[in-house]
Amino acid sequence: MQPTGRPPVVDVALQGSGITVADQVDRARVLQRLRLGDAAYRQLTRAAAITVLIILGGIIVSLVWGSLPALRTFGVSFLYEDAWNPVTEKFGAIAPIYGTIVTSIIAMLIAVPVGLFIAVFLTELCPMWLRRPVGIAIELLAGIPSIIYGIWGLFVFAPFLQQHVQPFLIALFGELPVLSYLFAGPPYGIGILTAGLILAIMVLPFVTSISRDVFEAVPPVLKEAAYGLGCTTWEVSRYVVLPYARVGVIGGVMLGLGRALGETMAVTFVIGNAHRISGSLLAPGTTISATIANEFTEAVGDLYTSALIALGLILFVITFIVLAAARLMLMRLNARVGG
Amino acid sequence: MSMAAITVPTVTHTPGHVEDLTEKVSVRNLDFYYGDNRALKNINVSLYQGKVTAFIGPSGCGKSTLLRVLNRMYDLYPNQNATGHVTLDNEDILSSSQDLNLLRAKVGMVFQKPTPFPMTIFENIAFGIRLYERLPKSELEDRVKHALHRAALWEEVKDKLGANGLSLSGGQQQRLCIARTVAVRPDVILFDEPCSALDPISTAKIEELIDELKDDYTIAIVTHNMQQAARVSDFTAFMYLGELVEFGETTRIFTNPNDRRTQDYITGRFG
Amino acid sequence: MATTFQSPLYASRRRRNRISMALAFAATAFGLSWLVLILAVLLWEGFSGLSLSVFTEMTPPPGSAGGLLNPIAGSLVMTTIAVLIGTPLGILAGTYMAEYGRYDGLTTVVRFINDILLSAPSIVVGLFVYEVMVAQMGHFSGWAGAVSLAVIVVPVVVRTTEDMLILVPDTLREAAASIGLPRSMMITKVAYRAARAGMVTGVLLAVARISGETAPLLFTALNNQFWSLNLNAPVASLPVVIFQFALSPYHDWQKLAWTGALIITLAVLALSIIARLLAAQRRSS
Repeated sequence: MQPTGRPPVVDVALQGSGITVADQVDRARVLQRLRLGDAAYRQLTRAAAITVLIILGGIIVSLVWGSLPALRTFGVSFLYEDAWNPVTEKFGAIAPIYGTIVTSIIAMLIAVPVGLFIAVFLTELCPMWLRRPVGIAIELLAGIPSIIYGIWGLFVFAPFLQQHVQPFLIALFGELPVLSYLFAGPPYGIGILTAGLILAIMVLPFVTSISRDVFEAVPPVLKEAAYGLGCTTWEVSRYVVLPYARVGVIGGVMLGLGRALGETMAVTFVIGNAHRISGSLLAPGTTISATIANEFTEAVGDLYTSALIALGLILFVITFIVLAAARLMLMRLNARVGG
Repeated sequence: MSMAAITVPTVTHTPGHVEDLTEKVSVRNLDFYYGDNRALKNINVSLYQGKVTAFIGPSGCGKSTLLRVLNRMYDLYPNQNATGHVTLDNEDILSSSQDLNLLRAKVGMVFQKPTPFPMTIFENIAFGIRLYERLPKSELEDRVKHALHRAALWEEVKDKLGANGLSLSGGQQQRLCIARTVAVRPDVILFDEPCSALDPISTAKIEELIDELKDDYTIAIVTHNMQQAARVSDFTAFMYLGELVEFGETTRIFTNPNDRRTQDYITGRFG
Repeated sequence: MATTFQSPLYASRRRRNRISMALAFAATAFGLSWLVLILAVLLWEGFSGLSLSVFTEMTPPPGSAGGLLNPIAGSLVMTTIAVLIGTPLGILAGTYMAEYGRYDGLTTVVRFINDILLSAPSIVVGLFVYEVMVAQMGHFSGWAGAVSLAVIVVPVVVRTTEDMLILVPDTLREAAASIGLPRSMMITKVAYRAARAGMVTGVLLAVARISGETAPLLFTALNNQFWSLNLNAPVASLPVVIFQFALSPYHDWQKLAWTGALIITLAVLALSIIARLLAAQRRSS
């Protein structure tokens, strides 16, 4: 019996499902019907979850399948040969691999210290009212699509570097032993260094926000204990906050690295697309993703296409390892905090 | 408002007992605000050299707040302000020209929750020493050993100085924090409910420690535990709702309090 | 007490502190100034080319004037399809992880894999869809483009759905269960409603993310200089057209590229702002 005047709760909940419950209907029968739908829904969601795994599996399988011709032809030498000749169909991945790794290292060398300092600023120095706006502004950097970085890099940043910065660098390091090779001219504007610098700007927001989040999670009483000894703000950040947040920071850095390794558009515009390894950072080069982006649609012949897919496989393996390590670290951090 | 016009709460000595008391820290007309909320109202109290002063009172009465004024810990947070006069060795510590790092080197603090730094046991203590002195390695080791002795921790950790501070038990961690504070050679040590997170055995050890330390330091301790206050302190201040209700020698406060509220609290009428 | 406070040690500590704090401030200014620089240039270059014709005319051959109508249309269509495919899939998967399978092993694995897919290089996604669709069908197509974008949408939606559903308090679930509501209904009628704002935020973020994606479209949907909404053939998209035009030597094309870039950035920023407002609204309610 239902209370008069008020619709039964089950009715309200069932509204819109196309089922109406009249007063005399056996509720058990209705719920029996619903049970089937319930089991179906459960299986549906489970299937969707498994689909995520299938997507990953599909990526791996399709990359391996597509790479097979190239891998069978070149074998392991694919990894260290530096020829890249579509005409003679000789392909070696060392130049793109080198470019990918070097640009990413340059990016991290800049983004990590800058990002950590910004995180220190945001957690220790920044006045309260300014924290959210600055945090949002940094995150906007992360939201700008990479192709924007690409054309900005090509039309604004590269010419600027070419006219003002690179000649300076060439002159500065010209006489020094090792560095003169690293910074040898001519100043193209585009090149490995430029690509690395743009990647640094793109990776910066990732490192900053993750670092800021882990810094904020440091228990205040720990910081107070350090201040209580008379430590300066810098000393608290460097000797107490950073070691405590170390695992989270490393996780964030590796996420940023994963992003840098896989970045395509920003790099393609400014790297110069030269399939060679030069000693100088100011020279053009190429990365795995830039090579694929530039050449895939023009690739003639199965071996060429397969070589490009093999490059994609290498990139996927590298980023998978980095991202998996990052996730494991962050999982460990969450376990420690929670437990 | 001149100092002479302020009434200092009287310290009534037990008959026949004469003592030279040096005022180390003096608090006069202290008000403290969390935003607009006045948490401390016109506090007047003194901490005497070589003596332990306990602050007791129900939760929320402002005892921790008062302690945190003494090393200007509240400065770390916005919207927290103190007005009035607080002097350490006759220097006003509330003034904006007071160097906070120097103040905190002179006024150490042990917190409710043990807070070892994420470093080795040795480093936890050496860290503080290194802030202020450049010592050769052997001297540094001696200082660390001495601090651990004073915290009654040396015997238990002497073979594992390289272990992480967090690997110690709760009571040991707290004694490590005490060692760390003592190593910096402050003048005043503030204990903010140091035993509330510890088991009875560790609590007893720390109370012993405080008794040994008081010869060389001026100590203030905030505690929820009245028996602890009675055991450990020379002077007791009872606080209630942000006011300092009564201050005097511990034996007198607990046997013959002047104020009705003090009496009610001590006899357990309210917690 | 032996400590001397006027010691050179203290002075050097204070100096180091001041330098470090200045560095922190400088780092922040450094980071923010890039944002300002990029946006300023984008506005400057893109705005001057912004006119009604951009939205009404097709992409021109080099040397003549024109607009970006077909790439904008292509992008809109493929993005919509990607969202239509990816969102339900993502929501269902996230639902399993937060509701039915919250503590089981499958969820742990899926969460781990999903997080990797979230940050995986998008060009690899393009290769995957190429192999699976384009190579099989024998030609490039808008469908392939939409699918590659959908693959990028799914991890984002899975993550936000799971996070939002986990936030729904268990008391709400228990109340629903106590009146005999079956699990699926409890989820669709109660939990989804409670997490709705957060899930919409997730979809908006996913859309913002794919609006700027170029690499996966390069060899799935390819490009098309004419008007075509035939998804069985190459379809123009804004990011790919920008790519093509910017790298060309033609000034007209480069100008259009900037304008297109401005349009994408404004769209992405608008979506992010709306998502943020929704999140703030949710927090205050």
